[in-house]
Amino acid sequence: MNQKTDIENSYEPRVKSCESLVISHQSSVKDTEYCDWKLAVLKYAKFALFSFAFFLSTFSLTAQQQRFPKPEFDSGYTQPSPVTPEPRALALEYFDVLVLLLVLSAATWLALKSRSRQGILWLSVFTLAYFGFYRNGCICSIGSIQNVTLTLFDATYAISLTALLFFLLPLLFTLFFGRTFCAGACPLGAIQDVVVMKPISLPKWLNKTLGLIPYLYLSLAVLFAATGTDFIICRYDPFVGIFRMDAKFHMVVLGVAFLLMGMFVARPYCRFLCPYGVLLSWMSRFSKWHLSITPSKCIQCKLCTNSCPFDAIDFPTNEKEVVKSGLGPKRFITYALIIPLWVALGVFVGAQSHTFLSKANPTVYLAELLISNPEIKNDPDNIDVQTFMSQGKTMDQLVLEAETIRSEFFTGSMIAGGFMGLVIGMTLLNTVVFRKRQDYEPHRGNCFSCARCVDYCPVEK
Amino acid sequence: MTNNDKLKLAQNIALIAGIFCTAVAILLLLNFWQVSKSDPIESKALEALVQRLKQEPNNEELKAEIRAFDLLARKAYFNSQWQVKTGAYLILFGAVVLAFALRVYYSSKSKIEEPDAKLENEIAGRILAQKGIIVVGLVVMALAVVAGFATVNHLKDYDTVSLVAENEANTPEEQIEMIEVGQNPVTGNTPSEPAVDEVVEQVNQEETAIAEQPGAEKEVAVETPKEVVETKAPEKTAPAASGLTLAILKANHNSFRGPLGQGVSYAKNIPTEWNGAAGTNVLWKSPIPKHGFNSPVIWGDKIFIAGADNSAREVYCYDRNTGKLLWTGVANNIQGSPAAMPKVTPDTGLSAPSLTTDGKAVFAIFASGDLIAFDMNGKRLWARNLGVPNNHYGHSSSLITWAGKLFVQYDTNRGGKVLALNNTSGETLWETTRACKISWASPVLGEVDGKYQLLLTSDPIVAGYNIETGEELWQVECMMGEVGPSVAFSEGMVFAANEYARLVAIDPKTASVVWENDEYLPEAASPLAYNGLLFIATSYGVLVCYDTKTGEQYWEDDLGTTLYSSPVTADGKLFMMDNDGVMHVYEFGKELKKISENELGEHSGPTPAFADGRIYIRGDKNLYCIGK
Repeated sequence: MNQKTDIENSYEPRVKSCESLVISHQSSVKDTEYCDWKLAVLKYAKFALFSFAFFLSTFSLTAQQQRFPKPEFDSGYTQPSPVTPEPRALALEYFDVLVLLLVLSAATWLALKSRSRQGILWLSVFTLAYFGFYRNGCICSIGSIQNVTLTLFDATYAISLTALLFFLLPLLFTLFFGRTFCAGACPLGAIQDVVVMKPISLPKWLNKTLGLIPYLYLSLAVLFAATGTDFIICRYDPFVGIFRMDAKFHMVVLGVAFLLMGMFVARPYCRFLCPYGVLLSWMSRFSKWHLSITPSKCIQCKLCTNSCPFDAIDFPTNEKEVVKSGLGPKRFITYALIIPLWVALGVFVGAQSHTFLSKANPTVYLAELLISNPEIKNDPDNIDVQTFMSQGKTMDQLVLEAETIRSEFFTGSMIAGGFMGLVIGMTLLNTVVFRKRQDYEPHRGNCFSCARCVDYCPVEK
Repeated sequence: MTNNDKLKLAQNIALIAGIFCTAVAILLLLNFWQVSKSDPIESKALEALVQRLKQEPNNEELKAEIRAFDLLARKAYFNSQWQVKTGAYLILFGAVVLAFALRVYYSSKSKIEEPDAKLENEIAGRILAQKGIIVVGLVVMALAVVAGFATVNHLKDYDTVSLVAENEANTPEEQIEMIEVGQNPVTGNTPSEPAVDEVVEQVNQEETAIAEQPGAEKEVAVETPKEVVETKAPEKTAPAASGLTLAILKANHNSFRGPLGQGVSYAKNIPTEWNGAAGTNVLWKSPIPKHGFNSPVIWGDKIFIAGADNSAREVYCYDRNTGKLLWTGVANNIQGSPAAMPKVTPDTGLSAPSLTTDGKAVFAIFASGDLIAFDMNGKRLWARNLGVPNNHYGHSSSLITWAGKLFVQYDTNRGGKVLALNNTSGETLWETTRACKISWASPVLGEVDGKYQLLLTSDPIVAGYNIETGEELWQVECMMGEVGPSVAFSEGMVFAANEYARLVAIDPKTASVVWENDEYLPEAASPLAYNGLLFIATSYGVLVCYDTKTGEQYWEDDLGTTLYSSPVTADGKLFMMDNDGVMHVYEFGKELKKISENELGEHSGPTPAFADGRIYIRGDKNLYCIGK
């Protein structure tokens, strides 16, 4: 409350300045009636800009208005904010967008133009400090998937421009320059990147198989966000607790475990969990200007083969072996033909498991709890039940709501299942597709553009 | 500094930072273990002290000890919080140093390795990957299917549960019905002609005593035949054991909301115009010694109300023709009565339950649980304490009597029950425990299948009880929240409603909900059902008329005031008192026709009582008799 009042107070002068602007503007118009019309337009524009900024800033403040004032203490005790991170003034939110834009540009420039691993490392440290520890890991592009999903499915939820930009900007950059966002602008990537000590190379089959998990995570995250159930990406973010220094015990364990693992299996979250990585990987495959290992022509020195801790370097194709292996057109056709079967299986599985998945929804959970344990209504310690009882909603209404959500889950789970089937089918198909490659090249989908490999290349421009 | 020195320094720093991090981590874990083992705020010792204070509420030393202990516990809690926070920052600092040192160490050590002589066989890798993808894909799908099959869809059980409950409720009720028809002497078939004659005589006597208004009678003549048709069937009912018959009841207003508590008065020539402040059509006005929210009840020439404060609980009997206070009965010296009055809220008070009378005695109950009976001349007959009701607003359920029994709905925070007491001796005839929470509603009597049932509503059940045995005949789980409004009863249908719950029309024969609605719900005012119309008065001032059969809404009138008093019908009109003391009079019909608005001149929450040519209204301070 106090904090807000301060902010409100800080806007008081703005109101005054706006008012004085109007007054001065009016008087000036009176005085110089025949003044240049261009000047007047400019003044109007300035005024409009000010009022627009003022309107935006007060809008977010009135939305946070407390219904009852909090008690004040003489001892100097200040009330902790119930929201982490505390709501920011809109101008500061836009400042975050600006910082993201700058960091993205810097990462892109460092990866593609100056080809400086050192630069990207220090940029990562800045990102970790700013978006991680200072901004408490929120807002983040990975979580913004859910905001975008929710706004598409829930008419009552309007996404903020900041969240939308955090979602779109990295995708846009990736579409042109590869995953430079992962290299230097993502705090989750940064915290893992700085702890990479002695990375080991994982076999291809393990990389491919574990690579299915992000798709599963993405489909579940979208399903849960679309049904208004939960933002699981944020809830199970292993590092946000470290950024905020207030994680629950099990989340600390999870975060530390990821970091310890990350010393040897580089960036485990980015490679085998990150749902935003799926979208970035799609974009990056089409990227026009992607980081290359060599600045000019590959001399096949093989020095870079072990340079990538993420196993994202593709080697030249050995055509003889490919022909010999029998992974030819026959298998391609077989795998292509069974894709619809995978999709159908996924749809079936989705339909089967929708009841199970929908139990994560608080409304469905409460309705089922009250149906299966009617005596829980008398439990004064069950806050969910007591809140429901005090709302005066009838059981019928609750069950109806729960049934609606479950039917949404039925459709959503089938789509998610079908998507997973398609992903499995396509990944299989990909294993028999050979692209003719003569040089050592970064895998466009998996490369984080961290520029480690660049240092290994002896070729100079 | 040579590369070797650099290596050594980085190694040492990393080692120290590593040891430091481990030590802090161990300390943090110990702290976590200690806090989770014994939360200082949930201390058992503190709990024991608080328990002791409950027994010795005036022990100042103990209070000081508890405060000191509580402060200590809080200090310990915040201290451990500080330790966690500081530890977390220390470990972060250590980790940053460790990471930096390790990075320097590895970068100084590393040199570009020679490329592997033999690279991983790409083809073999791809074939393995195919197997891996197929296996993992199938395992994930299989797990999802198994999870799906292992999950119980409880939502599907919802309808089944209510259906089973309905079936269970139906079966025993039907069985009881069959047995009781033969056993119960009070049946709908017993002729009751003598009783009717008796009442007609009594009514005539009363009418001669009251100054009649012939003009008023003409006005209501049109409505009268309707009521005769309506009331014929119940009149068949035989006189109850006490000699009390429905016809006698109809000539009086012996309980909250009139005869049987149904909100229907059979009095005639009811005035529709008055003004309390100006004295227009006010026959008399008498001050009420002690405050209370109970509604007046009438028997013969006497009108009864009660009032209470922390010093005394009293019953007042007035002459209803002159307004003279005839006698005051004091409810004192009752065994088991608490020394101090229970805490109640001002909007309920210590004397919210209305009295009831059977013509021989008048019965009163107070928030203390004191139940007392006086004869019609103020002589104390019997008194007992039912146990102080645990009620956070104050006990408010009114009394009702029938068949020589006094019925008490006693739903408290400790559970619900209903009792029948012998009118003459006060002894408990039966007592039934109810599976419900606290309520503030009052019992209503209704005739179902030729027998009277006691109809009660509360959270969560609306139920009917055999008045002879107390057996629960049926129940429907449909209410919730703090139930204040009593049920309405008309033509064999029970109507229950409560704010934040719903309005339900229940057929007690099948214990099923015929229709329900949740648009307008009352907070305190009981619904009224009569002649195919149902009225709901919401606390935010909307009076709504529904069709009792279908639930179709006929009209609504937003009065823009607070309605706690219950709507009552009399003389073909609907009387709705608001909390400001303004009586809104309507034609009792499907169409909204407002006749008048009459100001009392003071606030009024109780429901008015009616006698031929008269309305009796309890204001905040005075009792009014309206008439011409």
